[in-house]
Amino acid sequence: MSIAPAATSPLLQVNDLSLHYQTRQGEARAVDGVSFALQPNEAMVVLGESGCGKSSLARALLRLLPRNVAHYSGAVHFEGRDLMPLGEEDFRATVRWQRMSMVMQAAMNALNPVVRVREQVAEPLRIHSQWSREKALARVRETFGLVGLAPDVLDRYPFELSGGMRQRVVLAMALVTAPPLVILDEPTSALDVLTQAAIINVLKRIKREQDISFILITHDVATSSEIADRVALMYAGQIVECSPARDFFHAPRHPYAQLLMASVPRLRQPEAPGAIPGTPPSLLALPSGCRFADRCPQRFARCDQPPPTFHLDGSTVRCWRFAPEGAP
Amino acid sequence: MTSFSRAVAELKRYPSAVAGLLLIALLLLAGIFAPLYIPYGEALAKWRGGDAWRMYPVNAAPAWTDWLTGNNNPRTQILSTRDASRTQAHFAGGRQEHIALHFDYEADGFPSELNVFLQTDRSARAPFVRLTWLTPSGERFLLGGQRVSAADRISISQHQLLSQRLGQAPHVGLFAQPASRKSGATPVVQKGRYTLAIDAILFGDEATLEADLVVYGRVHGIAGTDHQRRDLLVALLWGIPIALAFGLLAAVGTTLTTLFIAAAGVWYGGWRDALIQRLTEINMILPLLPILVMIGALYSTSIWLMLGVVVLLSIFGGGIKMYRAMLLPIKQAPYIEAARAYGAGGFRIVIRYMIPRVLPVLIPTFVTLIPTFVFLEASLAVLGLGDPVLPTWGKILNDAQTQSALYNGYYYWVLAPAVLLMLTGLGFAMLGFAMDRVFNPRLRSL
Amino acid sequence: MKNTSRPISKATAIRQNLSRFIPFALLRLLGLFITVVIGVYLTILIANMGGKVDELRLLQIRTTVGEQVRADPAFFDMPVAERDDIIESRVTLEVKRRRLDQPFVARSIDYLLAAVRLDLGRSEEMHSDSGAREVSAIILERLPATLLLFGTANLAVFFSAVFFALRLSRRYGSWMDRAVIALAPTSAAPAWFFGIFLILVFAFLTPVLPAGGMVHVPPPEGRLAWGLSVAQHMVLPLAAMFFSSIFISIYSWRTFFLIHSSEDYVEMARAKGLPGRLIEKRYVLRPALSPIITSFALMLIGLWSGAIILEQVFNWPGLGSLIFRAIGHRDTPMIIGSVVIFAYLLAITVFLLDILYAILDPRVRIQGGRS
Repeated sequence: MSIAPAATSPLLQVNDLSLHYQTRQGEARAVDGVSFALQPNEAMVVLGESGCGKSSLARALLRLLPRNVAHYSGAVHFEGRDLMPLGEEDFRATVRWQRMSMVMQAAMNALNPVVRVREQVAEPLRIHSQWSREKALARVRETFGLVGLAPDVLDRYPFELSGGMRQRVVLAMALVTAPPLVILDEPTSALDVLTQAAIINVLKRIKREQDISFILITHDVATSSEIADRVALMYAGQIVECSPARDFFHAPRHPYAQLLMASVPRLRQPEAPGAIPGTPPSLLALPSGCRFADRCPQRFARCDQPPPTFHLDGSTVRCWRFAPEGAP
Repeated sequence: MTSFSRAVAELKRYPSAVAGLLLIALLLLAGIFAPLYIPYGEALAKWRGGDAWRMYPVNAAPAWTDWLTGNNNPRTQILSTRDASRTQAHFAGGRQEHIALHFDYEADGFPSELNVFLQTDRSARAPFVRLTWLTPSGERFLLGGQRVSAADRISISQHQLLSQRLGQAPHVGLFAQPASRKSGATPVVQKGRYTLAIDAILFGDEATLEADLVVYGRVHGIAGTDHQRRDLLVALLWGIPIALAFGLLAAVGTTLTTLFIAAAGVWYGGWRDALIQRLTEINMILPLLPILVMIGALYSTSIWLMLGVVVLLSIFGGGIKMYRAMLLPIKQAPYIEAARAYGAGGFRIVIRYMIPRVLPVLIPTFVTLIPTFVFLEASLAVLGLGDPVLPTWGKILNDAQTQSALYNGYYYWVLAPAVLLMLTGLGFAMLGFAMDRVFNPRLRSL
Repeated sequence: MKNTSRPISKATAIRQNLSRFIPFALLRLLGLFITVVIGVYLTILIANMGGKVDELRLLQIRTTVGEQVRADPAFFDMPVAERDDIIESRVTLEVKRRRLDQPFVARSIDYLLAAVRLDLGRSEEMHSDSGAREVSAIILERLPATLLLFGTANLAVFFSAVFFALRLSRRYGSWMDRAVIALAPTSAAPAWFFGIFLILVFAFLTPVLPAGGMVHVPPPEGRLAWGLSVAQHMVLPLAAMFFSSIFISIYSWRTFFLIHSSEDYVEMARAKGLPGRLIEKRYVLRPALSPIITSFALMLIGLWSGAIILEQVFNWPGLGSLIFRAIGHRDTPMIIGSVVIFAYLLAITVFLLDILYAILDPRVRIQGGRS
């Protein structure tokens, strides 16, 4: 876990990224002005409830847009250049998977059922890097070792593998080109606890051994605490707090973060864990002021205005309580 | 049933659905109209052909084709002595009558036939009749004389001697301008007032003689006539309810039975399910049309038999596989287990839980199935295996085929039933397609 | 996790595949064969429920025996009555030999065995161009014409439909897409229906193509000219079959591809940055191919069944018009024989498609079942 802020420029700098969907009931603002920075070899966890826009954030970064996009804007500086102006073909050929890869949610169906595993994992190497078959397969075998898969899995078809094995295959697939950034969308939510722990261990080991940054999107506070260097908490399409992991887990700033951490049961705590009353607002009909105001116990008059992101020491918080001149 | 009304509202958004519904509505109206206009028994009797049609032209095109081609073809004219004035001269034992039948001929084309139908009654001896033809330009042609039996037909147009004398077929020569009557020249119609003079000698005071002169046209009515002089409108009109009935009955029978069997197979599982699967496979090997053909050729071609066999063979087709695939996951669903826990019997579960789930896919499939059966019935008829007495579109096509309609230029004979078949098929297909897009859950998100 | 296996050579891979594949294929073949046998048996049952087949065979026996006896010089000098007696006794012998005096059930097995062996008897009134009267010979003569026409049509429809369906699935909502959707209902009409219209327009109203038959009469000399003549005659029936199936095929397969394009692994492929063409081929087309082949099989069966009328409309000298003539003559052995051959053809088609299915979808091969 890196503690000190990076001296070098960040690997990924996202400014005001927005992604809105067009649905029959209106425009859903899934990602609404998200900004954060990610250093090399840093693991950032994006926490949030279902429907807060976390998965859309992953899609927005990799530009995996569905057919019904209403709005897509912002600046994504990756390795020194802004990716947004890149054409689709450029993005596909230079960024996707070579520099940025993704492990999708529910890897059950993420593998082509009629192609052997080794072909699928070797694919990015052969297509993007034009590697020969032998060279690619050697690298695949290497990556398999990295994620803890036996080499005989190479010849199998996806339907012959268990859920945990498939997840590892997908992880291997994401690592095979050794990209500097891997985005993982709920990598463990569909697995049993033991496999979850194993996968997290794999991720930790990889992060130690290779110079890779992770963005780990999850709703599971407990497992994320094991690997996170930074935590970004999303609510209703926005990042409400982004802090170093230790600060977030022990002294969260944003009221939502506080309530969240209070609701996570500790192993030895006498009192019952707290709950957060109410439900998040629909992404179709967002309130005009602070989006958490309805459920916030620390709400005050200023919260009728949408709060900007305030920068504190090493953290960012989107809450009027932390406005420089503001006071309750 | 708000989901139903929602679905209907959404259906209205598709122009193809609206068009399809309109077509179907029109067809249904026509189908109801047909038996009112011509009762069933009468339609069958008429379609059997025969004497009822003797005053209709053979292979006449519909009247409106003139309007299309710009021709001026003659329509059939019937002149009856019952309406004409006659002069009589009595003699001992009988009388002599002279009847003149006048008519105006203004068409550009020649008639297709020329016949005189004679009827006598209560005559001691056979009357003697002599026919004379008068043209507008004053020419006189003696058409000959003969004795007349109770009901007789003199076919002027097939009169050999007359034909030789004129140098052309009588129905052309008698109407041609004198100058153009020479062989080799193209005959031109002489328009004006023609007269057929009938001189009859009747024996016996009670004897009567009536005659009808029929100048057969080349066009007739809305639909034209076929080789047996039958007005095609009868079959075209009656084809509608027959096609609709066959299509609907077959579709309903097949869909319901398929669904039921698939559900039963899924629900009971085990050997029943396996049996149904095997039956389906066997059935898919048996080619439907050839089997129908075999049955029709060896047994009977009654439409009820065909309907029954068609439904039977269609049940174990692709439909079963589809329904089975849809019902299988439902069977394992937790709410089914809950239903069994409270003691619901298999039948109840099948009816109340499983079948409603497949209804959204069933309805469009049903609608799209109707034209298949309509065409199947037509196919059988075209092959000559249609119901022997029913006037259907397929029968018309079959007749047209055997009479080489296309080679002879009788396009209307083929086009009319074909277009009606097409409209029926399109109406249901368009509706079914739109319904599929609305009801099918997998397609709705697209 | 041990590092156990080395990469296997291609030859070993093929051998491994085959060893899993062949038992599957054989099993399937057996299954289909049984199905055909049952189907043929049903056909026989249907055919003979009215006793027709029996009468037929009796007649055939009588004729054959009669001919034999009358042609035998040893019997030339005999009085007619005595000869008739001999004929009768021989007929009875033959009847006993063929078990025609047995109950129907036993005989149906005989007939079934004969049909399965493709011993389909002799036609009553028809004969092949070479004068043979065996049903199988007559059918064999007409089979290639049908195969030529229908094989070409089916292949044309399949490849065009897959090609266009793939394209359309990428251009959802475009005018081409909407045109196909609007035209799809026209496939409710069978091929012969389109055929009538096509003949009307292209052979009569604007006579550019022949109205029927397979080659010009008299047939041209030389293979090339003959081939061209056949090709010219094939245009209209091919067009009829093509247009009656193409729109619905494109529509349903494009819907299929669309649904399959939203599968997770397709998204994964996009995320991997794979080029569009590759995604289409490997991630959309290949997994979707097996259900498409099933739907193709159904379409094929439909087309085959419509062959009778189509060939009649176009006067194409194939199996279909053969059946038509057989119907006209009420020639029972011909009819039954043709239906049996049809069943065989269908079974072979289904079998070939099943093999294709297994090649394309590893789930079928390895699990031995249907996905």
